[in-house]
This record gives sequence, C-alpha cells and structure tokens, in this order.
Amino acid sequence: MKNRYFTLALLTSILHAHGQDSAYRRQRISRTDIEVLFGYYTQDGNHSAITGGTGTEKLRVYSPEFTITHYRDSSHTLTLNGGVDIISSASLDNIDFLVSSASRLSARTHGSAAYSWKLRRSNTHVTVQSGFSVESAYLSLPLGVSIGHSNPSGSQEWKASLECFFDDLRYGWISKEYFRPVGLIYPAELRDTNWFPNYRRNSYNFSFSFYQAVNSRMQMAFFPEFVYQKGLLSTPYHRVFFNGSRLTDRVEKLPAERWKLPLAVQLNIFAGTRTIIRWYYRFYHDELGITAHTLQLEVPVKIHTEFSVAPLVRFYTQTAARYFAPYHQHELNESFYTSDYDLSRFDSYKAGLTLRYAPQRPMSPGYTFNALSLRYAWYKRSDGLAAHILTLLLELEHTRNHPLHEGFDQKGINHSD
Amino acid sequence: MLTIDIRRLCVPAIVAIACCLHSCTPVKPYQRAYLNDAAMRPGSTGIEKFDINVHTIREGASGGGNGKVSGGCGCN
Repeated sequence: MKNRYFTLALLTSILHAHGQDSAYRRQRISRTDIEVLFGYYTQDGNHSAITGGTGTEKLRVYSPEFTITHYRDSSHTLTLNGGVDIISSASLDNIDFLVSSASRLSARTHGSAAYSWKLRRSNTHVTVQSGFSVESAYLSLPLGVSIGHSNPSGSQEWKASLECFFDDLRYGWISKEYFRPVGLIYPAELRDTNWFPNYRRNSYNFSFSFYQAVNSRMQMAFFPEFVYQKGLLSTPYHRVFFNGSRLTDRVEKLPAERWKLPLAVQLNIFAGTRTIIRWYYRFYHDELGITAHTLQLEVPVKIHTEFSVAPLVRFYTQTAARYFAPYHQHELNESFYTSDYDLSRFDSYKAGLTLRYAPQRPMSPGYTFNALSLRYAWYKRSDGLAAHILTLLLELEHTRNHPLHEGFDQKGINHSD
Repeated sequence: MLTIDIRRLCVPAIVAIACCLHSCTPVKPYQRAYLNDAAMRPGSTGIEKFDINVHTIREGASGGGNGKVSGGCGCN
C-alpha cells in the first residue's frame, strides 16, 4: 500500500514539475558592450624628425573612438571598432605638397571588425579580424587570425595570433585635392630625386599570450612576440643633415628588413580587500639595435564599491638604433641614417592617475551604465620631450532576450553548427 | 633627472616570477571572486589603449601584450 502511495506521489511530482517546465520560456540572452573612448594628447619638444632632428615637436591629437562588442550567445562574438585621430602639428607644415598654414591639421581614420566563435564542445575560440587605417600619406590593411584556449576551471589560458599588415606609404589617400595615391611625399627641397622605388611595407606579427592563476589572489601572464617587417621602413619625409655639409641633405634611410622581439610579463595581485597591484615588465630588442626595458606599476584602490582610484608609474629606457645620429652629425659615407629621436637613446618617465566610477546601474530597459573612467598621465623623455595624455572612457551594456529555437541549449549554445 | 637602471630590477623580478609559478595552486571556480575583478584582468585595460598608442609612436619599442607592434600609422 505504501508503495502505491509513494508511486502516486512521485508521479504527481513529476507531472507537476513538467507543468512548471512548460511555463518557462527558454531564452537566449545576447549582450552588447558599447565603449566610447576619447583621447587628448599634447606634446612639446625640440627634436623634430621632419626637420632633421631639430625644431619644434609641438603636437596635439584629439582621438574619439568607439568599440561595439556583440555577444550573440556564449559562442559567437562580433566586435566593431572605429575612430578618428585629428592631429594638429607645426612640423606637418613641412611635408605637405601644398603651401600650408602655420599649423596644419591632419586626420587618421581607422576601423576594424573581428568575429570570434567557440569550437563545438571545447573551450577553444577562433577569431578572424580585419580593418583599415588611412591618413593622407598612409594606408594600412590588417588581416589577422587567432586561436585561444582555456582550461575548464578557467585558471589557465593561452592565445596564439598571427596578424599581417599591408601598408602603402603614398600620399593622397584622403587628401581633398587628390583622393587617390599620387606617390611618396618627400621634403619640399628634395623632390627632384626619387629616393625610394618601393612604397609598400608588410609586417607580420606572431604573438602568444599565456595566463595562469597562481592562486585565488594572484594572476600572471606572459606575452612573447615576434615581428618581421619588410619593405619601405624609412619615413620618406624625415630629413637628415650631414656633418660639414650645408647643402647636402637627404631623406632618412633605414634597412628594408627589420625584426622585433618583445617579451613581456604581467603580475596582478589582489592585496587585502581593496587594493590591486598591477605589475608589468617588458624586454625588447630589434634589428636596428634598440634594446629597451619597460616597467609599469599601477595600483587600483577601491575607495567605495562603485569608485576606485589607480595611481600609476612607468619607467622606460632604450638604447639608440645603430643608424641614429643627431642633427648634422651623420657622415656622408654611411649606408643608413636617421635623426629621428624616437630611435635615439633615452629614458622616459610617466606618472598618472585613473579615476573609475562603475555603478553598473540600469538606465532604461535593456541598457546598463557600466562605468566611466578618466585617466591623466604626464610623460617626460630625457631628450626634453614632454607630453600630457588625457583619456575618458564610457562603458555601456545592452542586453536582450531572444526566444530559444530548436538547436540551442539552455546556456544559449548552438548545437546545430 | 631621476635615473633608475631598470635592468637591475629585472633579475629579482624574474626570480620572483619563477617563485610564483612554482607555487601555483589550483583555483576552484567558487574561489575566483578576486581573480574575476575587472582590474585583475591580464593584458591592458580599455582606458590604457590611448596611452599605449602614444608609447608605440614615441618610443622605439612596442608590443608585449598591448597595442600593435607594427603596421598602420605611427610609422613604427
């Protein structure tokens, strides 16, 4: 008798549970992250490469940019990015084909798209990406593919990427006078010579990243990379002035091949309940003979659940490229030469502060205000260049429910691929 | 001018990293509260992007987990 009651109760509960299940609507939740970034940069120095390693380096850049990342479900992600850099520079005067004003405006427009998907029944993601970057004397077309994998617990992750850039250094791409490439642009007084027969530059970047959770409060990452560049690596409008010669000057000349080897390590530590220590070190060496070391320390402190402050310091040092010499110090018998102080021996120091307000508060149905961050950094180079960098980042999120069709499971994973 | 020889700091840093890796302990999903914090994410943060672009252009070195190492404008 007891068995009958037990069977009846079991049957009832199963039917009841089934009835409850049918009341649920199976749904897939898609999420879209929206990031709006605005950057402002200003610098001043006295070693402009355009005028041969001397002269003003005064420059201002306004850089609005947006990124939209759409997570269709837990397997498919589409990322779109676009922006423009508006550059106001005194030395740009000296490279234009046309008569220019005291301070020229130039613009760089860039856009990219990436699509990522998760391989079936694995924690492996594949991403393909492409885009463009164009300014008056430059067109760059990148093409990239990457594969990443994380272990089931998420404590270990690696990613391997190959990215190729196909660049064209001819002038006229977005010049309102031409809107087509018309040739390499040389300094006005050196245009009687065709200094470079080639105007293309190809770059191949192989990068690898490896993340490891050391314990519940510490995370470590390694970033080895290898880069190979081939083609026109000189900047054709950089002047070089030679020792003892007042009349003979040339445009910068660098080898047609270059490899780069950056190797970085990052350690993030959550100390106590409010403080995070982000430590970063990078070693770099390249074909031109530059060896560099970078050390950065950033310490975000959570003042409140929604508000954090992150002071940062960064030290950088590099040796000079073997082809670098200052204004009027190159010899005429040299095969390669540059007076670009970005390739000289110098140290640089940066100090800054990031303020982050992250309420993660719903604004309107489906939209969430995730965070607003403001960052200021002061940058100083030992060759005299000084700069201020200001960045504002707004992060929003949009979520949407979709009725789940056949082929999707409750996690939103599509098994019909 | 403040001068710091970063190379001298590298050796103890590398030793510290090796020690950290040696002492890795398994982290269960429910123990990831601190690791999942936005500021603990490895790689560069979103607001660093503009700074990294500046460094790529103004310095000889680039890459190493942040920003592009070559290609595009900036003449690097």
